[in-house]
Amino acid sequence: MKALRGFLDSQHHHFAKGGKLEKFYPMYEMIDTFAYTPGEVSRGSVHVRDGIDLKRTMVTVAMALTFCLLMACYNTGLQANTALAAQGLTSLDGWRGSIMAALGLGFDPSNCVSNFVYGLLFFAPVFLVTNITGGFWEVVFATTRKHEINEGFLVTGLLFPLILPPSIPLWQVAVGISFGVVFGKEVFGGTGKNFLNPALTARAFLFFAYPGEISGDAVWTAVDGFTGATALGQAAIAGPAAITVSWMDAFLGFMPGSMGETSTLACLIGALVLVVSGIGSWRIMLSMTISGMLFALLLNTIGSTTNPMFALTPAWHFVLGGFAFGMVFMATDPVSGSMTFKGQFIYGTLIGFMVILVRVINPAFPEGVMLAILFSNCFAPLIDWFVVNGDIKRRAARIKA
Amino acid sequence: MKSETGKTLLVALILCIVCSVLVSGAAVSLRPMQQVNIKLDVKKNLLVAAGLIKSTAKREEIEAAYKNVKPLLVDLASGEVVEGDVENYNQKKAAKDPKQNIMIERSIDKGSIKMRAKIAKAYLIQEDGVTTMLVLPVHGKGLWSTMYGFLVLEPSTTIVKGIGYYAHGETPGLGGEIDNPSWKATWAGKKLLNDSFEPVLKVVKGTAKTDTEIDGLSGATLTSNGVSGTIQYWLGKDGFGPFLAKFREGGIQ
Amino acid sequence: MSLKKVLFAPITENNPIALQILGICSALAVTTKLETAFVMCIAVTLVTAFSNFFVSLIRNHVPSSIRIIVMMTVIASLVIVTDQLLKAFVYDIAKSMSVYVGLIITNCIVMGRAEAYAMKNGPITSFIDGLGNGLGYSIVLIFVAFFRELFGSGKLLGFEVLPTVGNGGFYQTNGMALLAPSAFFLIGIFIWGLRTWKVDQVEKE
Repeated sequence: MKALRGFLDSQHHHFAKGGKLEKFYPMYEMIDTFAYTPGEVSRGSVHVRDGIDLKRTMVTVAMALTFCLLMACYNTGLQANTALAAQGLTSLDGWRGSIMAALGLGFDPSNCVSNFVYGLLFFAPVFLVTNITGGFWEVVFATTRKHEINEGFLVTGLLFPLILPPSIPLWQVAVGISFGVVFGKEVFGGTGKNFLNPALTARAFLFFAYPGEISGDAVWTAVDGFTGATALGQAAIAGPAAITVSWMDAFLGFMPGSMGETSTLACLIGALVLVVSGIGSWRIMLSMTISGMLFALLLNTIGSTTNPMFALTPAWHFVLGGFAFGMVFMATDPVSGSMTFKGQFIYGTLIGFMVILVRVINPAFPEGVMLAILFSNCFAPLIDWFVVNGDIKRRAARIKA
Repeated sequence: MKSETGKTLLVALILCIVCSVLVSGAAVSLRPMQQVNIKLDVKKNLLVAAGLIKSTAKREEIEAAYKNVKPLLVDLASGEVVEGDVENYNQKKAAKDPKQNIMIERSIDKGSIKMRAKIAKAYLIQEDGVTTMLVLPVHGKGLWSTMYGFLVLEPSTTIVKGIGYYAHGETPGLGGEIDNPSWKATWAGKKLLNDSFEPVLKVVKGTAKTDTEIDGLSGATLTSNGVSGTIQYWLGKDGFGPFLAKFREGGIQ
Repeated sequence: MSLKKVLFAPITENNPIALQILGICSALAVTTKLETAFVMCIAVTLVTAFSNFFVSLIRNHVPSSIRIIVMMTVIASLVIVTDQLLKAFVYDIAKSMSVYVGLIITNCIVMGRAEAYAMKNGPITSFIDGLGNGLGYSIVLIFVAFFRELFGSGKLLGFEVLPTVGNGGFYQTNGMALLAPSAFFLIGIFIWGLRTWKVDQVEKE
């Protein structure tokens, strides 16, 4: 470790003001503070409210995502292996097939290791492409704007692969995350200044730009030519009775879908971590759940002869699609969501309502979590404004009285 | 004060007269050309669907190719060809006119079009007096919009020769793929009617397995269903069914 | 101001779309193809120039109480004539532009220039000002349409530049580029580029 410190210190003068690599200071700083606590300390009086900083926030979110990540790999492999087994295939061409063969693993859906490794072979490339491309844009903007590289991207880089289908082409991953980082975040000034969630912005871009690879029923299982709709897709066409997975499987996450979103249980464990550490807002999660469930219940009661989605019960809505994942990891994004406590209740309620509205009423999109959260992101500042102004008025009235 | 008002009125009056003369002059003098264009556009859509010309064809090519087309007015209920001004018959307008349309019962309205004209257009494409193709204008509701197209049939009336949609508002990349040339190419040779001449062709989910199935449009189930419904309605006994029966009997040339 | 400046200032210095953020709606609607964008540009440029010209001609005879309705009438007449001409001569394009030709009437640029410029200046400079603002509008529209057609259908002016997957090539068309929001992003990029170059256009916070 000492050698690294010595090396970094010996290189410092190149990157300092006036050094020949001055432009690349942000990169130097990134490596330095990644390995060591920053040397700069505040002078004079400071106001410390909490010992938490951006880095710790991000690490906590990453920890909260652990189970989702594990499930992403396991379930992707499980779904693929199940489909392969159904087709009677035992070996595959291509690099993934070669690696599996080299490891002596077959495509057996009952073999946990095989499932996990095969899933990892799908998740890892998407993850790498996301982080390399997104990291590239971070560096470009940090160097031109002469600020330090933020850790903010690490969470986006973790979330984005989790909300993609396993069969997504890698070039689309790169295009999508580029759009998300540049237009979802950097044009507004970078980390902390974005009003949309960058990972969702990236996904929304792909959703509208290349709908064939991110919607429909051919993309959710990583096997060529295999079609299998998500449970929501099945329900949208023929009603809840057409769903082929059991509620428990859906809750645990053993069903086709975007890689990291299938397991409601894993998301709830993440929710616990986020709420206990105080990073994720329980107000948003609670209000989103309640409003979504109530609205779904209302639609159940109204019923419809032409739209089978009306009959989908709140319990199903909760475990299908990205409801839990969006609620825990996307809606609670502290930058793009509401900040005031009262505002968070309103914001969560709006998301829950919109999710069910898009899922049930809109004929084109069986899933509505992404659109609902992005829509509500736009309203978050307005909600906060009203809450703050309401408080100001109330207090002014109190002083007068 | 009085002269102010007078001037205001005068300016307004002169301006109105000048502008209205200008506008109506342009409208009247250009109307014949516009009429020609509208008709030419219909002819072009039809010929493109039939695969006789490319969509970039010039006016002369269109007119030349259209010489082989024999437009007919068909009374859909009886299947008889009726006399009338084919060139100037506006089926879209007639569908909305209570005197010329019928309401379609919901149970049989597979294309979700609610109403249609009693008299429909149909086209025979003939070479030396022998019919080589039938072109039927069809329309039905997709996901977002009413999709207007032409279905081209072999003279046997049971086999598809081609399809072309010329107006729709489906999602680009999903339902909008009904314009995709390679998808349209899969229609040729498919079996449209079964042995008792009922429409059997369907757009299925996923890939077509038999010759009465068309590949589904990925991610656009509702548009695909709309296309199926359109075919089912217009080729059935409530649509062109009686006309096709008459045609097979040789009563229509 | 010299005539040259009147003509060219609206392109970069005072662009109606990029700086004044006017006339956005048609920039979204008619820019999926370069061809329609060109025709729209010509139509808007001519309407702006001639409406400026005519409004300026009669500006001293128009009582200010009815000046807005007078300008509306002049603009509306010009737009209807343009619409009729397009339908008569370039029917295919006019069809794909549908109502948006008629909506030039409501394009804020036309009305804005008539009120802000033509009412105070002579017919010739007003005409040039109309042309200039039309060009400023056009440059943004063509920028947007260029990228939308290229990314959305792999074509430029109808010719295939990037062979698409649908036609057996390698390029997968970007459906987003065919949807209206993509025009917002592209206009955003245009403004971003313009304001990086001309820093004084950045609004003070």
